[in-house]
Amino acid sequence: MPLILVGLNHRTAPVDVRERLSIPEPKLEETTEALRSIEGVDGAAVLSTCNRVEAIISTRDEDVIANIVEWLATRANTVRAELEKHLYILRHGDVVKHLFRVASGLDSMIVGEPQIGGQVKKAFAAAVELGTADTLLMQVYENTMRVSKKVRTDTGIGEHAVSIPYAAVELAKKIFGDLRGLQVLLLGAGDMGELTAEHLHQQDVKQVFVANRSYDRALELARRFEGSAVQFDAIDEHLGKCDIVIASTAAPHFVIEPFQVRRALDTRRSRNLFLIDLSVPRNINPEVGSVDGAYLYNVDDLQQVADANLELRQAKAKDAELIVVREVEAFRKRLVAQDAVPTILELQQRLEAIRAAELEKCLRKVGPMTAEQHAAIEMFSTQLVNKILHYPILQLKDASDEPQERESLRNTIRKIFGLAK
Amino acid sequence: MRFEPTDTLYVALACYALGTIAALVSLFINEKRLQHTGLILMIGGFAAHTMWIGTICARTGHPPITNLPEAASFVAWVVFGVELALWIRYRVYAASFFVYPLVLLLLTLSAVVGEDFQVLDPALRSNVFTVHLLMSTLGTAGLFIGLAFGLLAFLQDRALKNKTRGRLWEWIPSLDVCKSVSYRALAIGFCVYTIGLLAGVIWSYRTTAGLMDIRVKQIGAITAWILFGILLQSYVSNTYRRKRMLFVSAGAFVAILVAILGIRG
Repeated sequence: MPLILVGLNHRTAPVDVRERLSIPEPKLEETTEALRSIEGVDGAAVLSTCNRVEAIISTRDEDVIANIVEWLATRANTVRAELEKHLYILRHGDVVKHLFRVASGLDSMIVGEPQIGGQVKKAFAAAVELGTADTLLMQVYENTMRVSKKVRTDTGIGEHAVSIPYAAVELAKKIFGDLRGLQVLLLGAGDMGELTAEHLHQQDVKQVFVANRSYDRALELARRFEGSAVQFDAIDEHLGKCDIVIASTAAPHFVIEPFQVRRALDTRRSRNLFLIDLSVPRNINPEVGSVDGAYLYNVDDLQQVADANLELRQAKAKDAELIVVREVEAFRKRLVAQDAVPTILELQQRLEAIRAAELEKCLRKVGPMTAEQHAAIEMFSTQLVNKILHYPILQLKDASDEPQERESLRNTIRKIFGLAK
Repeated sequence: MRFEPTDTLYVALACYALGTIAALVSLFINEKRLQHTGLILMIGGFAAHTMWIGTICARTGHPPITNLPEAASFVAWVVFGVELALWIRYRVYAASFFVYPLVLLLLTLSAVVGEDFQVLDPALRSNVFTVHLLMSTLGTAGLFIGLAFGLLAFLQDRALKNKTRGRLWEWIPSLDVCKSVSYRALAIGFCVYTIGLLAGVIWSYRTTAGLMDIRVKQIGAITAWILFGILLQSYVSNTYRRKRMLFVSAGAFVAILVAILGIRG
């Protein structure tokens, strides 16, 4: 049964087209059912993320593609010809390869990003729950998730942070290991600082202190991070307490000087201090970086870390592509072999029936014989049938992944061996 | 040709050699699976090594620490045992780049020197002497581990300060883990080593009526003890990151090797 995928993504369609087709999560089930109800569709799943919308179907009739394109055009509120410019249509093995790559993050805007694996899982899980995923789609689903996990485990493609806030979290882990139990001081209310504090909060840090020129704003942020607001003048006292300091104020001068950090470190015994300066102009005097036990990173340093990580991911993507190619081939072989099973069984039964009938005739003609002689003739006939069947079975199992070619081969073999159509 | 229980030394040596090569190659090609293969080989070597140590104990009736090959082998065995425990606890890959070659070096020394098993001299049959040997050997192993993790802490600190990543960046655990393992290993190793040295002095006083002979072994041991004391103090005073501590570590490593090699003298 053919597999078809019709879709568009961030490389083929601009955002205004993608947003018209995008499916909000609550509408996923309804849309999947609508796709399944198109005539000729046997199994259906819909993948929708901010970067792609894809209709994945199994069908016996490839003509259904036109209907799907029409359906998508109606959904996008555009004419078919207009939408077709942005669409890609994949068939059979290419669908499997594409899904393996997508779920592994190899087709993402940021290579190796981890969310896409979960989004693919959600799309297929919805189809399974609705009963729109047939046996073939279920197999594709299981193998896609398995390959995605294998790629991520074997290559570590998603391990390195590629955004500034995540790079800061990664560096904090390189200094402290486990971030639980650490205290964070957020100075100012810059967007990047807030985002970094949010990521650290998600790592279960013990406490987030927020200091801002406006105490009300500090209170508001502190509530968001389940932390405490502190007066801006009291930051010296908190420097000694906190392990990570994020500076993100609009101040046009340094708010943290080396002497303050030295004093803070004296009270911290041998505990290190990680300072993240996300402000421009900088809020932490660069000399702080030369204080023993203090690690200072500004926005450029973090960007460099993120860039280096992206390069690392791209290098790992090459290994990941090899895994995908291997897995696609293994899956293709399994599917083709599975597809050939009914014909192979019929072939074996047919030849076994011929063998048994001819053997009986032969035994009647020859007359009485010893048990050994009987066994020898039995063995001879069985081996002969097996030898005759060997190559046809091999051909059936190792056929092309193009369903029409497979069908044609099956029909030829059925004709030659006189099997019912 | 029959396989004797003592031949397990060569099995251990072969496994350690292959494990060390696999670990070092994995460093250059940045391949985690090869690092795992190296670890499995090292564990195989450790099992054979354990059998060899057991054979010595069974044949001589005393712990395998009375001569150079035995002591070197025992130190290597303890060092790898501790490294394995740390790997299980912290999944520290980077330490293997220092620890595996050290274990291989010590066991090679053991195989090359290859002295016969000794029945203990009556003068050496004393509890104080056994305590001296056992504690100095265990202390040495702890100090080696402390040195390896101290070096990792130094490299991690430099990488974080200079904002550069070396080859080891991905393999080294957090700075805090390196620092705390190094400090604990040095503190425990130093205490145990000190007890070992004191027991040696007491034994020497009882048997030769002098506090100690002044030979290469003793000079190496005392120098190592002083340098490890300085290293330990650098952790207490938070000055372990300074470059001079690298020289102190190198000196301590050489001194302790001299003390081990001096067992023969």
